[in-house]
Amino acid sequence: MVNIKRKKRVGGEFSAGSMADITFLLLLFFLVTTNIDVDTGIGLSLPEYIPEDQRIEAPLSSDRLVAILVNANGDVLMNKEIIAIPQIAETLKEKIRSKINLPKNKKLVVSIKVDRETNYNIFMQTLDQVEISFNEVREEYAQGTYGKKVADLNEEETKDMREKVWKTVSFAEPEEIKK
Amino acid sequence: MKFEKKRSETKQEIPTSSMPDIIFMLLLFFMVATTLREQEIFVKFSLPEAKAVQKIENKRLVSYIWIGDNERIQIDDNIVELGQVQKIMYDKRVTLPSVIVSLRADKNSRMGLVTDIQQSLRKADARRINYSARAKF
Repeated sequence: MVNIKRKKRVGGEFSAGSMADITFLLLLFFLVTTNIDVDTGIGLSLPEYIPEDQRIEAPLSSDRLVAILVNANGDVLMNKEIIAIPQIAETLKEKIRSKINLPKNKKLVVSIKVDRETNYNIFMQTLDQVEISFNEVREEYAQGTYGKKVADLNEEETKDMREKVWKTVSFAEPEEIKK
Repeated sequence: MKFEKKRSETKQEIPTSSMPDIIFMLLLFFMVATTLREQEIFVKFSLPEAKAVQKIENKRLVSYIWIGDNERIQIDDNIVELGQVQKIMYDKRVTLPSVIVSLRADKNSRMGLVTDIQQSLRKADARRINYSARAKF
């Protein structure tokens, strides 16, 4: 007689030893597929919209104003002088520094005006330079006055730093010549 | 005299039985912390680069406007016309008063279009804007 015997089960458990490896793989999969996209950019506040008939022309003395013009070819004019984009920050920093101790109504106003055909990238480079100049002067001020970095200042010191190195960036509307 | 090496009686192994649990925790953390991209982008764009960039501190407030390389504008999941931007952004501003508009424009866009959108935003009173740019070091 043929002896048919059932195999005896060894144990009712499954091996949990490879569990860690499996979960590791799962973890790796998630790490690779999800993209933590940090959104970086230059933040600004646009000026309030006022209808044309309600606008009031405010006189601005010429020593306060820095007018930056960018034309369609990407040439930059800063206070009526041709300037290369990477040099804007250095030139502007001098001006910002000289205005630190002046009252708020005498601080610098940076006005950027572009043409409708100007390349966005060139505008961004210009804006970047303006941002850099303000950031660096703020850093200098924080270092010189409090001996700290801007990021380490407390609320009051930040407020003071902002008051002293006041940032006003305005965008002039491009003339509507061609559309 | 014979010296005998001292040996501890305890086991020399790290208990690995809780390893899967630990990794599961890690996995869960990553699943919760990462935000999956919920929006599909229909326009093609490559962001400009800038040095003085900062992170947007509160992502919940952000609303995106994409400008593609062929001057198409996308808000949320739709391609929109320039004329609609003001209305849409005004509605957003009403529901979320401190909305930050992140402008993700292709670097070769014309400033004319960007300015038009800026003007629409000003009229819609959604004035906090972020010019999206990749960080350059």
